[in-house]
Amino acid sequence: MIYLLSDTWFVAWRELLKFFRARVRLVVSLIQPVVWLAFMGNMMRGLTSNPVTAKALGTENYLAFMTPGIILMTVLFGGVFGGVSIVWDRRIGYLEKLLAAPISRGAIPFGKMLAAMIQGAIQVVAIIIIASLLGVRFQTGPAGIALIVLIAMLFSTILSGLSLALSASIKTMETLMAIVNFVTLPLMFTSNALFPLAAMPPWLAAIAKVNPVSYAVGPIRALTLTGWNWEVILPGLGVILGLALLALLVAQYIFQRATTE
Amino acid sequence: MPSAIEVYNLTKIYRGGVLAVDDISFTVERGEIFGFLGPNGAGKSTTIKVLIGLLKPTKGRLLINGVDIAKRPGEIKRATGYAAQETAIDDRLTCMENIYLQGRFYHLSKREILARSAEVLKMFDLYDRRNDLTATFSGGMLKRLDIAEALIHRPQILFLDEPTLGLDVQTRKTIWEYIKRLREEQGMTIFLTTHYMEEADVLCDRVAIIDRGKIKALDRPEALKAQIGGDIVIARFSALDGSIPQEALEAIRGLPQVRGIEPKRDGAYWIVVNQDGDKLIPAIFSICGQAGVSIESISLKKPSLDDVYLHFTGREMREEEASAEAHIRARIMRGRIRRR
Repeated sequence: MIYLLSDTWFVAWRELLKFFRARVRLVVSLIQPVVWLAFMGNMMRGLTSNPVTAKALGTENYLAFMTPGIILMTVLFGGVFGGVSIVWDRRIGYLEKLLAAPISRGAIPFGKMLAAMIQGAIQVVAIIIIASLLGVRFQTGPAGIALIVLIAMLFSTILSGLSLALSASIKTMETLMAIVNFVTLPLMFTSNALFPLAAMPPWLAAIAKVNPVSYAVGPIRALTLTGWNWEVILPGLGVILGLALLALLVAQYIFQRATTE
Repeated sequence: MPSAIEVYNLTKIYRGGVLAVDDISFTVERGEIFGFLGPNGAGKSTTIKVLIGLLKPTKGRLLINGVDIAKRPGEIKRATGYAAQETAIDDRLTCMENIYLQGRFYHLSKREILARSAEVLKMFDLYDRRNDLTATFSGGMLKRLDIAEALIHRPQILFLDEPTLGLDVQTRKTIWEYIKRLREEQGMTIFLTTHYMEEADVLCDRVAIIDRGKIKALDRPEALKAQIGGDIVIARFSALDGSIPQEALEAIRGLPQVRGIEPKRDGAYWIVVNQDGDKLIPAIFSICGQAGVSIESISLKKPSLDDVYLHFTGREMREEEASAEAHIRARIMRGRIRRR
């Protein structure tokens, strides 16, 4: 058990080392949310000046409405890299090297997921700082922000688990990226991350209601806009936690199966 | 003391139905350098991967240091080191970071890793470059680092899959020196695969010739060469009228130690001799002198493992001659293409 933990940590450590070393990637991943918030947020400001739409959004600050969406979008794309790194490791033979070592097999997918989680958390903190500078007030203060980061980390696990499961049977980077884009973009736009349910046509709202992204958006938006609204926070947190655990198990199982011959 | 490696009736069939290793048995003694010689797709890498627990055998019993690998895989992994055919170094990490991670994956403490990595990196002349990104390393340096990494947990048995594949002659010889030193200084058992005859000849105490999943021959390199017979005298004649010197050839064939004469396409004649081909040369000269045939050139060829390979498999071992099917087999075995 202690080995599982240390093995997982060192698999993640390798990813994090590279994450911090790739300066350009680091800078871009931090600038990206600024671009979203500053440009998109400003562009949509017209929405909140209209009292009807402001009511649908639940705030007069579209930036505040949008911040949870940007948080999840960033984490979503970050999580996907878990699988990409496995495909890469298979290519350069590193995966085989890991498998030849006496490490717990589960440590490989878990480590990749942990790395995606930590990277996600760093990005989320950066987004929250930037959003605060742009005038977004987080209603629940530091404790709420901590919970937002936690939800984002759990959400990242769902995505990295999914991409790891896919990468077990996909051997080329291009195919994986195509499938991942095919899944992630619709997932984002059929959720209430960027637009309120009330503003959607009924069919889209129906999809948005069952979309896991919406379950993560719910609690984060409540924590940002309204406060400790447990009726929204608990169910969302429950679903996200459940899906994260499921993703963990599925990724581990599929990885195990794909590497046993 | 049990032997380092014992393999009994190993068969490996991949999920797709490819028969990679077909009922082979062999034993490797402690402190021995043992080589598997064969072309791509012969089953060399598969055998290594089964021995270190990367693949499950379809059939067969395998013992490492007398321990059944199916029973205690963790113990086997700690007793063996493995450097794969394709050098697996993360080029976005430094030399030290690569070896540090490898040590951690073998559950060594930080202090142990620092001490041992200094030791192995010095041995492989990489210590001065330890803090450089491996992206700046040459192919030979990467290979050395890969082998150094395989030694970080002080294995008793080292598995090297094609340790010099794709390296230039000079670098290849350096790697050979390192491998020899490991055995001499640490008494390490080394199991390597190669498709370079010279490598098997220079390094290995014993060589198994493997082709299409079967062991065709297994012995010391000299003994293998002796099995296919003696020396070859290669001669070119030039008769005055340009005709074939039938008379002289008949006379040579009649000499007691001559086994046969093969005319080659390039006009040379291969005279196969039981042994001591050098002593035959004066006799050939005197026969030719009497028959009025002049000798353009004459040379003596000692049999090489190439000839041995040809003898046991009926094929030349050249990559470009491998069929498309053999290439696909080799790639499936390396897991580079999908099986489903």
